[in-house]
Amino acid sequence: MKTDLILLMPEITVAIGVVFALIAEMFRASRTAFWITLTALAVATGLTIPMLGLDTFVFEGTYRIDTLSIWAKLILLPATVMSVFLARSELGGTDREGAVYILMSLVTLAAIFLSGVGDTMLLVLGVLLAGLASFALVAYPRNDAATEAAMKFFVFASVTGAIMVFGLSYWFAGTGSTLLDDLPLLGDKPILAILGLLSVLVGLGYKAALAPFHFWAPDAYDGAPVSVAAYMSVVPKTGAIFALAQVISTLPVSSGWPMAVSILAVLSMTYGYLAALVQNNIVRLLAYSSIAQAGYFLLAIVAIGTSDLSLTALVIFAAAYAAMNLGAFAVIMRVGRNLHELIAMGRRHVMLGVAMVIFLLSLTGIPPLAGFVGKFLLFAAAIEADFLWLTIIAILNSVLSLAVYLRLVIPMYQKAENKVALTPMPWVSITWIFALFFTIGIGMLAQTILGKIG
Amino acid sequence: MSALLTVLLAPLLAAVLILVMRRMSEWLALFGLTISAIASFSMLMNAFSGILPKIVIAGLPDMPLHIASTPLTALLSAMVAIVSFFVVLYAAGYMKTDPQKPRFFATMMLFVAAMQMLVLAGDWILLLAAWEIIGLSSYLLIGFWYQKPEAKSAATRAFLITRSADLGLYIAIFILIANTGSSNIAQTLDGPTSMLVGILLLIAAMGKSAQTPMHDWLQRAMAGPTPVSALLHSATLVAAGAILLIKTAPILPEESLLIIGVIGGITTIVTGLIALGETDLKRMLAASTSSQYGLMLIAIGAGVPLAALLHLLAHAFMKSSLFLGAGVFQHSRKSTLFNKLRGAGRDHPKIFIGFALAALALAGIPPLSGFFSKDTIIAASFSSSNAVLLVPFALGGTILTGAYMARAIRILLKGERLAQPLAGLHFMGSGLSVLVIFAVGIGFMFSQIAELLGEHLPENPVAIAFGLAAAFSGLALGWLVPARRLLGQILPWAQNGFSIAGGFDAWFVQPAVFIARQCDRFEQILYQAILSIGQAGLYLGRAARFGDERAIDKAIFAFVRNTIWMGGRARSLQSGLIHKEMALAVIGIALILAALFVYIFTN
Repeated sequence: MKTDLILLMPEITVAIGVVFALIAEMFRASRTAFWITLTALAVATGLTIPMLGLDTFVFEGTYRIDTLSIWAKLILLPATVMSVFLARSELGGTDREGAVYILMSLVTLAAIFLSGVGDTMLLVLGVLLAGLASFALVAYPRNDAATEAAMKFFVFASVTGAIMVFGLSYWFAGTGSTLLDDLPLLGDKPILAILGLLSVLVGLGYKAALAPFHFWAPDAYDGAPVSVAAYMSVVPKTGAIFALAQVISTLPVSSGWPMAVSILAVLSMTYGYLAALVQNNIVRLLAYSSIAQAGYFLLAIVAIGTSDLSLTALVIFAAAYAAMNLGAFAVIMRVGRNLHELIAMGRRHVMLGVAMVIFLLSLTGIPPLAGFVGKFLLFAAAIEADFLWLTIIAILNSVLSLAVYLRLVIPMYQKAENKVALTPMPWVSITWIFALFFTIGIGMLAQTILGKIG
Repeated sequence: MSALLTVLLAPLLAAVLILVMRRMSEWLALFGLTISAIASFSMLMNAFSGILPKIVIAGLPDMPLHIASTPLTALLSAMVAIVSFFVVLYAAGYMKTDPQKPRFFATMMLFVAAMQMLVLAGDWILLLAAWEIIGLSSYLLIGFWYQKPEAKSAATRAFLITRSADLGLYIAIFILIANTGSSNIAQTLDGPTSMLVGILLLIAAMGKSAQTPMHDWLQRAMAGPTPVSALLHSATLVAAGAILLIKTAPILPEESLLIIGVIGGITTIVTGLIALGETDLKRMLAASTSSQYGLMLIAIGAGVPLAALLHLLAHAFMKSSLFLGAGVFQHSRKSTLFNKLRGAGRDHPKIFIGFALAALALAGIPPLSGFFSKDTIIAASFSSSNAVLLVPFALGGTILTGAYMARAIRILLKGERLAQPLAGLHFMGSGLSVLVIFAVGIGFMFSQIAELLGEHLPENPVAIAFGLAAAFSGLALGWLVPARRLLGQILPWAQNGFSIAGGFDAWFVQPAVFIARQCDRFEQILYQAILSIGQAGLYLGRAARFGDERAIDKAIFAFVRNTIWMGGRARSLQSGLIHKEMALAVIGIALILAALFVYIFTN
């Protein structure tokens, strides 16, 4: 029990941070809440680093401390810090500003729990916690669009959550236990395994915005503040994907999960990029792009158990995705939501333009950027697991993605007609500079990083 | 150890400094050579007291590079250092007014460094590298006055002939390394391959040492500046060939020795006759060089490489003195033709005395150094098992040497005096005088040198008698009888460089040109063929473009249009109505469920 608490120190730190921020917010000291949140996140990150290499569990197997969950903390906590920067810049000065930081911390906590999930009950808890805090984040602006988006999100989450809890009861019936470690008992009960798997795919698929459970995502991203959209596209999504990886790692293959997951991957990648191709709202475009990127994550999940690369690929791609997606959202936050607002941006703001091009190229998967390394590992893992057809579809979709992202690059370097100067946003600049650093750094230092994982 | 590296690096560093600073080039060169010479002497002294350092540098895998000081290499290195120092001292005066001085001295330094490397190399790969750098720098130096067409063509000719002979060295080294598995020079070889290796090495040496039938390039190389010729003929380029054979003499098989001896013998006679018929002082000296190296090859062929080494040493000093003297006469008369040089010796009597001493030494007059070295060669040829063949060659060569040297002295002495002031005479005079002292006196060192190398000088009173007789009769013939009468019918032939039935041109150049023409014609045909293939390709391409425009482009356009249309459909799926979206999600769930059931029941 004592060691369990020590192993949980990062999570406890974030929770304590939330409590204190809440107190500060009660006294209308949003600024203090901001700094408390940042400190808690930073301390939690620092506390995680010594745990690298551990492979154990706490609370009798309910929560796993392994490669995935440790790296999830190392990726998601800094990503939350960057999102908090963005939120500070976008929502700073509005009423109840501190609530945004608190809600973000809570969603991050939920995402971290999800990424180390070892029990079906914790899975449900994580999805619900992340969901509840997310609704509030989306509804934050309190205008019609935000309220409608949050409402839709809520209805969708309720239905999928209900399906998930219902389906998980089949697993409990089959194993007599809520622990994921007991899932191999389902090896000779394929019907029960399938029903439970389906419910997990629905529940986590909704959280990760995988097609066909993604319908809430574009509306929610568009209705929410840009900083919240950026946050939602990275942190809860990564948590859900890692949770799926945790569940799958003990699920018997006889349930047919590789096929089900690969179907979701194909649907997400193809649908996401096709829909992104015709968007004129950049936030919606990035929302669809994040649906497609979630499909790429699944390439590593189908390889779990058959390829040693799958965990490495998941971690690297998650880090790369967090950096490049947050970076792209940060640039959008400075420039605006509409495609025409990008016109001539690259000519007027050279550094910002270069950064945006790098983020977009990395999202496409062009070497030597982070996105390339991530996708390369994903493809390698899938090929090693004999999913060549899936890899080929993924590569074809990468070609399609080039069209999607170039649609953003081209207007950036067109001739300017109107000259609107951008207001300086220091926190945003810090964010995109960090993101740029990681996008290039992960790409260049891939070899060094690879040695540290697994 | 450090001395060993200093010998190599000092000239190299001087070359770099000269190229960087581009001024005071002669002083930098002399400074570099002084350091190199001091290091070289300390190495020689160490060798006398038995300290033989060796440096191993990591080279190719399993074939490290060796730089080794042995008595032989220390001696040769000291010789190179001395001769190059005094030649460069002379060149400081000779090149005084040349605007391209830095280039000249930098190349000279590279040349000297490469020669030191060749001498000290203990493994084949380093030796090959040095060999190639020597070839390159000699090319650069012979063609130094590249504005002159004859210099350009002479440089190219020298380069091409020595390069083709170098092939022998390459193949020999490949065979040696492949058979012994080591790049060490000391590795011996048995059986028929050793004969092959011996002949290949001989070919390489023949190219560099200008042995018949590859002697032609050396005379043409006179187009370069005189100090270059002096260095080329005495201690560096030409010596490389002989040094190669001296170094490898222990591994050469018995049978190849005879071939070496005969090649040397033929060369010494043929080029001796050419020298006698020559009408140009420098070209005569060049022919004489070939002839003297022929004598060295006779000694190697007789199985006494020591004799060859001694003659190499003596010849280095004698020939460099002769060239330096000739350079002074060339400056004073603006020509090297004998007709113009008549009486030139009277212009500069001190220089002439030096020249004459060196000439007498070369002819083999006691107690000058040439006497001792020639004597050992003749004694060696007497001791050989093929004495019948080698002795006449050696004696013939000695007679011819006396004859053409006597002729040169006579021409320089007899004639009008045309005194003209000369720039840089001090530098030239001091460089020359020291070299002459060596040329005169080095003979007295021979017994110590033999002792250092752990060998004995071959002694034979009969050989001394024959040698002296040959030398004096040669001198007398050359002094008393004009070359025209001496050579008689073969004079024009000798002046033509003994072009046997058309010579080098007819035997090598014209067939090469013929082959080249045939290749050219073949290439024309090939060109036409490829052109028509290209034409056919173009037609195909046009046809393909036609198909592209009509068919594939349309297909791609249709595909793109449909993709965009599908995107539009995907967007319209996203109607924003929650119940419709939920229904779609449920349909998705149902589809995946169906797929899973299908999967289970088919497995």
